Amino acid sequence: MASSTGISLKFSPLSTSFKQNQVPGICNVNSVRFPSLRMQPGSMRLRVSCAAKPETLEKVCGIVRKQLALPEDSSVNGESKFAALGADSLDTVEIVMGLEEEFGISVEEDSAQHIATVQDAADLIEKLVEQKSA
Amino acid sequence: MNIRCFQRNFSAAFPPLVPLQLPSPMETHLWYILPDEVKNSALLNQYSELLSPCERESVSRMRGDQLKKRALLARALVRTTIARYQTNCQMNPRSLRFRKNLYGKPEVEWRNEDNFNPPPLHFNISHTSAMIACGVTVNVPIGIDIEENQRRTKNNIIAFAQRYFSPYEVKVLTAISDPEVQRQEFIKLWTLKEAYVKALGKGFSAVPFKTFTIRFRDTTMRKFHPPESSVSEESDIVVESSEDPTDPAKNWRCALLEVAGSHYGAICVEKDRIAGENAPMKLTVWKTVPFVEDVCVSGTDAVLVLGGIIEQ
Repeated sequence: MASSTGISLKFSPLSTSFKQNQVPGICNVNSVRFPSLRMQPGSMRLRVSCAAKPETLEKVCGIVRKQLALPEDSSVNGESKFAALGADSLDTVEIVMGLEEEFGISVEEDSAQHIATVQDAADLIEKLVEQKSA
Repeated sequence: MNIRCFQRNFSAAFPPLVPLQLPSPMETHLWYILPDEVKNSALLNQYSELLSPCERESVSRMRGDQLKKRALLARALVRTTIARYQTNCQMNPRSLRFRKNLYGKPEVEWRNEDNFNPPPLHFNISHTSAMIACGVTVNVPIGIDIEENQRRTKNNIIAFAQRYFSPYEVKVLTAISDPEVQRQEFIKLWTLKEAYVKALGKGFSAVPFKTFTIRFRDTTMRKFHPPESSVSEESDIVVESSEDPTDPAKNWRCALLEVAGSHYGAICVEKDRIAGENAPMKLTVWKTVPFVEDVCVSGTDAVLVLGGIIEQ
């Protein structure tokens, strides 16, 4: 069963500066929801990082292609939405499981729910790999 | 302009949808369409006319003709299905508006106008490449999920179950020695779990799969139904929440079907207080090509009950 949601960003009250990736085409934010920001010291600020390594992205694309049995010439990149590629919920969960195995990470259900594009998946992986080695 | 009672004007090309009474509080209606049977491009264009601009755009973003067609038929099925149900006057499928609840579950956005009491209609859809289904209830939330009965997983079933299912469910699956039977039972269990989460409508993270167990329970109900009744004698399906022993999960009625010989379908409906604890799910199923043909398939081979207390 396919379902698509826009990206929603999760942020922690302790995070710091808003970073925007300078490279076009990699950072693809469709919709951002956040409460009004009050500019005071120590106030909530948003941190966005969209800098998954190209190798990570490539591995994710590979896993997605395999799961969805996409032809070799079909274009899969960071902006590709799982739902638009025909992934239903069983596919998505299998993809997440494939990613967990490939990268040695564990993805919580609530993080998995917000993965709408291949880029989302790659970014999440990078974050979890980073947390693991921290 | 009064859009509500938009009867004959909206499309001279369409025969009107056969109007239906709303399901009663104890009834569940299931409509399904088989995309392979819909090939007429004029008809597909007409369906496209029913969609909102936003929906048409979503359809266009799907990759490839098959996915586009599927997305189009899904929206057309939802709109035409809901529009069938007579309220004060027949709804125009094109003028229906939809929104998502806080957690992303789609629902109808009824306009608040004077003298218009929106019907307490709930719906949920599911699709595979070969079938699109829409379930409808009144007063109570519904969740449905369908999967092709031949569906294979890329991952090992037990590894998958260990990762996502509850310990009891893993045990049940592991105990099945025949790999084909194990695969079938896995898919059935998946559809039931999906249907339950979709019925709850709070998103998958609110009810992770591991936190509840679905199992079949032999029922003593069969004693109370005379042999000639149309109530199935399959085992009842029980949802148990491991997080909450006091159990909101007891309020849900589940059904498992094999539809059109090709799909497993799970339906999960909140129990209506009036209907009572043990009342069977009254189910009616139609195969439809909207505006062309509706066939009631309840009680035929197209609907095999695999689990749950169902009356067709």
